[in-house]
Amino acid sequence: MDHFPTNWGRPRNDYQDAYGTYPIHQRPRNPSTDAFSDAVKRTQQPIVTGTSVLGIKYKDGIMLAADNLASYGSLARFKDIQRLHAAGESTVIAASGDMSDFQYIQQLLEELMIEEFTEQDGHALGPAEIHEYLSQVLYARRSKINPLWNSLIVGGFKDGKKFLSYVDLLGTTYSASTIATGYGAYIAQPLLRKAVEGYEDVLTEEQALKIMEDNLRVLFYRDARSLNKFQIATITADGVRISEARQLDTSWSFAEGIRGYGAQTQ
Amino acid sequence: MNSLAEKYSTTSPLSKLRKAQQLAEDEELSDAMWGSSAGFGSLAKGIPSFTVAPVPDPAAFLRLHTDDHADPNCRIKIQHGTTTLAFRYKGGVIVAVDSRATAGSYVASGTVKKVIEINPYLLGTMAGGAADCQYWETYLGMHCRLHELRNRERISVSAASKYLSNLVYSYKGMGLSMGTMICGWDKTGPCIFYVDSDGTRLKGDLFSVGSGSTFAYGVLDQGYHWDLTDEEAQELGRRSIYAAGHRDAFSGNTCNLYHVKQDGWHFIGNYDLSKLHYEGPNNVAGQGYGYDVRTEGRTSANPPPAATATA
Amino acid sequence: MLDMHSVPQQQPQGRQFNPYTENGGTILAIAGADFSVIAGDTRQSEGYSIQTRYAPKVFRLTDKAVLAVNGFAADGNMFVKKVRQRLEWYRHAHAKDMPIRAIARLIQTMLYARRFFPYYVYNILGGIEEDGTGAVYSFDPVGSYERETCRAAGAAQSLVQPFLDNQIYFKNQTPAAGTSFPSHLPLSTVLSLVIDSFTSATERHIEVGDGLEMYVVLARESTALQGVEGIGGVQEITMTEEGHRVFVIRRELKKD
Repeated sequence: MDHFPTNWGRPRNDYQDAYGTYPIHQRPRNPSTDAFSDAVKRTQQPIVTGTSVLGIKYKDGIMLAADNLASYGSLARFKDIQRLHAAGESTVIAASGDMSDFQYIQQLLEELMIEEFTEQDGHALGPAEIHEYLSQVLYARRSKINPLWNSLIVGGFKDGKKFLSYVDLLGTTYSASTIATGYGAYIAQPLLRKAVEGYEDVLTEEQALKIMEDNLRVLFYRDARSLNKFQIATITADGVRISEARQLDTSWSFAEGIRGYGAQTQ
Repeated sequence: MNSLAEKYSTTSPLSKLRKAQQLAEDEELSDAMWGSSAGFGSLAKGIPSFTVAPVPDPAAFLRLHTDDHADPNCRIKIQHGTTTLAFRYKGGVIVAVDSRATAGSYVASGTVKKVIEINPYLLGTMAGGAADCQYWETYLGMHCRLHELRNRERISVSAASKYLSNLVYSYKGMGLSMGTMICGWDKTGPCIFYVDSDGTRLKGDLFSVGSGSTFAYGVLDQGYHWDLTDEEAQELGRRSIYAAGHRDAFSGNTCNLYHVKQDGWHFIGNYDLSKLHYEGPNNVAGQGYGYDVRTEGRTSANPPPAATATA
Repeated sequence: MLDMHSVPQQQPQGRQFNPYTENGGTILAIAGADFSVIAGDTRQSEGYSIQTRYAPKVFRLTDKAVLAVNGFAADGNMFVKKVRQRLEWYRHAHAKDMPIRAIARLIQTMLYARRFFPYYVYNILGGIEEDGTGAVYSFDPVGSYERETCRAAGAAQSLVQPFLDNQIYFKNQTPAAGTSFPSHLPLSTVLSLVIDSFTSATERHIEVGDGLEMYVVLARESTALQGVEGIGGVQEITMTEEGHRVFVIRRELKKD
C-alpha cells in the first residue's frame, strides 16, 4: 500500500508511474492544469449553434428575446431559425447552444404536452412544471455523460405569477428577474440588471421591448456569432405571443471614432 | 496488447465497472444504500452495487475529478486519515491513532474517530479514504453480526479480516484506498490483521499504517516486547502517535487510545498531542514528551537532572 | 511482465465532457446545548458570473433536521430531492420522522453509493438528536461523516472555520485564572457569530454574499429563543404541533 496520504483516495495511474519513482511532492499530474474549470472537453460537441438568449420580467409578465441565427462554427449557416418555442398556453422556452439538441427537446415537450392533454384532467403544465421537467431531463443526460448541449431560459406566466428560470447542459438551474445565456451573461446581463432590477412591476411592454432591442444591439456589435434579426416572445395573462422576425436598426458610425486598440492603432 | 486484452477480458476492473454501469442504469435505487426502500433491510441481497460514470474508462474519470496531492486542482477533495498503529502483547492489543483528516493541504478535521468500533470485540483502524474505511468497516460489522446469528458464535478476527480483504480486492483498481488493522480477541487470543485496498492481508504482532507510520515504528520498535505491563503498553502506543504527530505534517491534533482485552475493547482516552508535548499524559508542566520542554533552560554546564543522575 | 511498449503512456481519454461545475457559496452549522443553527448564503455563481442572488442552499428536511448543501448546485438539488424522498418513504413505513443520527447514516450510504461517480456536494446536517441535544453532522463528498459542534464548508470554509475554532472551541485561547470556557454557547451568541462569519466571508471572498439564510432548530422545551429578540425577521416554519420547532431568519449581505 502507498502510505502517503497525498496519494490516497483516487485510482492510481500506474501507466504514468507504476513504481512510485517520483518524489512525493512532484507526482505526475492530470493532463490539464485544472481538471474542473476546463469545461471545453467534450465527447459530443455542439455543431450547429445558437448564441445568447435573453429573458426579463416586466409589468405584465415575461419577455424573452433570441436572434434568428444558427451558426456552423464561424459560418453564419442558417439565418431564419426560430429559437423561441411555445410549450402550452403559458410557457416559452428560449434556447442557446446546439440546435439539433434543441429540436429534440422541442419534440420531447410536444410529446409531453400531448400526453398531458389526453389526460383531460383539467390540469395543464405551467412554466414551473416544464422547467422542472427540463431540468430533470438535462441532469439525467449529463449524468449519462451524454449531455443535451443547451442553455435554456424558461419564461412563463400562470395564475398571476411570473416565472423566469434557467437550466443548462449540466442540469444547473436558477431563477432571477433577468437571465442571459452565453455571451449575453457577460455583455447583456449587467445592462439588463441595471434596467430591470427593482422595476419588475413597473416596466411597460414598450419599455421592456426597448431594453431587449438595446441589449440585442449591443450583443450584435460585439458577439461575432449574432445576427441583427430577432424575435421577441411575451408571456402575459393574455397568453403566449411570439413576434415575427424583426430587423435591428444599427449604426456603425461610432466605429470611426475608435482608436488605440484592435486593428486601428493610429 | 495489454489494453486490447483488457477490453475483452471479463475479470478486469474495467469490465467489472462496465457491468456495474449496466446494473446501475437498470436500477433506480442502488442497493449500496442498505437502508433500503421503505426501511426494510436489503443486506440479504448480497454485495452492494454502485453508480459508475458511463464513460469508456471510469477509473480514469475518477482519477480526473478526485484529488490527491499529485493534482490538487481536482476539487472533489476526499478526506484522508493518517497515522494508526496496533500491537499485540501479553495483555491484549493496543490500538492508537491520531485524529487529523486532510483534504489537500487543508486540515479538514482534527477530531476524526479513526478507530472504528465494529462490534464490542472488534476494532478497525482508518487510514486512506475516510469514507472507504467508514463504509466498508460498518458493512463488515453487519456481516460479523450475521455470522453470529448464523453460527451461534462470534466471528474470528481472521475470518472477519478475510471477509474485508476479499471484499476490497473485488474492487481493486477502481480507486478504493484503505489501510486498516482489524484488531480483536477471539478463541486464539489477541489478534491483529493488516488489510489494505491492494488486497494484502497479513497477520502480525505489530503494525503501523499511514504517512506517520515510519515515525511511529521508530518509537514502537525500540520500546516493544511481549511482556509489557498494561500501563507500559498504553504509554508506548501514546508515545508513538505523539512522535508521528510531532514529525509528520499529515498527522496530529489528538491521540485516541484503545485497549482490547479478553472481555472486548476498552477506550482508554483521548490525548491532545500538543498537551502531550508540554505536559505529558499526566498534565504536569515540564514533564512532556518534547525534549525541548524537558531541557528548557539547561546547558552543558547546567545539565538536566536525568543526565546528572547518570553521571 | 507487461509489454511496456504496448501500454499507452496516456490513456486515450479524449477531450471529455466535464459533468461538474462549482457554484460557490458557503454553508455553516453550529450546535448548541438544545438547539442547532444551520446557515448558508444565497448567491449562486459560476466562474466570475453571479447567476442569481437567491438560490437556497439550506433545506428543512423534518421538524428536527435541516440539511445544507454546497458545491455543484445541480448535484446538490438532486441530492436533497432524493434524501427527502427517502425520508418520506420512512414516514410512510414507520409513521414518524427519521431520527437525525439515522438521517446522517442514510446520507452516508447515499453518498457512498456514488463512490465511483461522486456527487460534488459537501453536506452539513444540523438538528436535534433524540436525547434533545443540538447536533451537527458534516460529510465529505463520498460520505465519510462525523458529529461535531461546528463546521463550515464551501468556498469560504478556510476563512470561516478558523474563526469558529477560536470562538466556539476557544482554540488557542487561555481562560482567565479561576475561570473556564463554556462548553455550549447561548443562541444569541451563536447567531451573532454566524452573522459575523458571513459578513466577513462576504468581504473577503468573491463567491459569498447577497443574502443569508439561517435556520434554527429548537428542542421542544428549549428556552433558547429568549434573548434573541434583537435579531429581526424570525419566521417560524414548524410543520407539526408536537415535536421540535424550526425557524428561519433571512438577512441581507453585501451584493458587490
